[in-house]
Amino acid sequence: MTPLEYLVVGLVLAGVFFSFVAVVGIIRLPDLYTRAHATSKSDTLGTVLSLGGIALLFGAEVSAVKTVLLLLFMLITNPTAAHAIARAAHDQGIEPWTASDEEGD
Amino acid sequence: MSATDGSLSAYVESTIIMTTVRVVSPFVFTFGLFVMFHGAESAGGGFQGGAIVASSIIMLAFAFGIEPTREWLDDSVIRLLVGVGATTFVGIGIGALAFDGAFLEYAAYGISHGVKYGIELVELGIGAIVAGVIVSLFMNLAGGFNHDSGGDDA
Repeated sequence: MTPLEYLVVGLVLAGVFFSFVAVVGIIRLPDLYTRAHATSKSDTLGTVLSLGGIALLFGAEVSAVKTVLLLLFMLITNPTAAHAIARAAHDQGIEPWTASDEEGD
Repeated sequence: MSATDGSLSAYVESTIIMTTVRVVSPFVFTFGLFVMFHGAESAGGGFQGGAIVASSIIMLAFAFGIEPTREWLDDSVIRLLVGVGATTFVGIGIGALAFDGAFLEYAAYGISHGVKYGIELVELGIGAIVAGVIVSLFMNLAGGFNHDSGGDDA
């Protein structure tokens, strides 16, 4: 394997790890705000790392440019979507989870 | 009417969402048209392109409020869009009959690359129908279900 391939595999593995963190977060965390917190950041980072690795693998081609554009699109829209969801939830008056809720559930 | 649904008009715009939508939605709209125009020769088509175009308009509605978008994009415009799309589709199809072809037989027109242009126009028609229907469905759903008196207000 060439050094480039090691780099690509490393980036994609890091991306898979952060996506896994996002999945663990959305299953384990108690309410909407904490889940949005876990998924927006980890999922964006995981997607960006994976797509970066793929763009490196394509090399100097049109496909690499398209992948980078997709990466930028995800980087802009994913946190905004999480922001919109959390904001809408706050507008609807959903209370954030606190430690005192723990014995209730 | 406007006095009763105060919870809808209490929506305050978010700078983050507005800025992002302002940056992203032109690209989304262009990409939707790109997908529509590529229906004849590569992956894409009227349905997918229409859905993407509609999503760019729904994004605007999310960012700038649904009622301002409804005022900006009147329901009659959407109806006109759907009507023009359907007329294009049927017109291209029936027009081939006038040139002694079958329904939607583009080669009967006798233009060079007539098949390609025919498919493109039909895809654009389908895209207009799909975009119009999705946007009007969204607007109707966003209008709420508080018309419990029965009859529809056309």
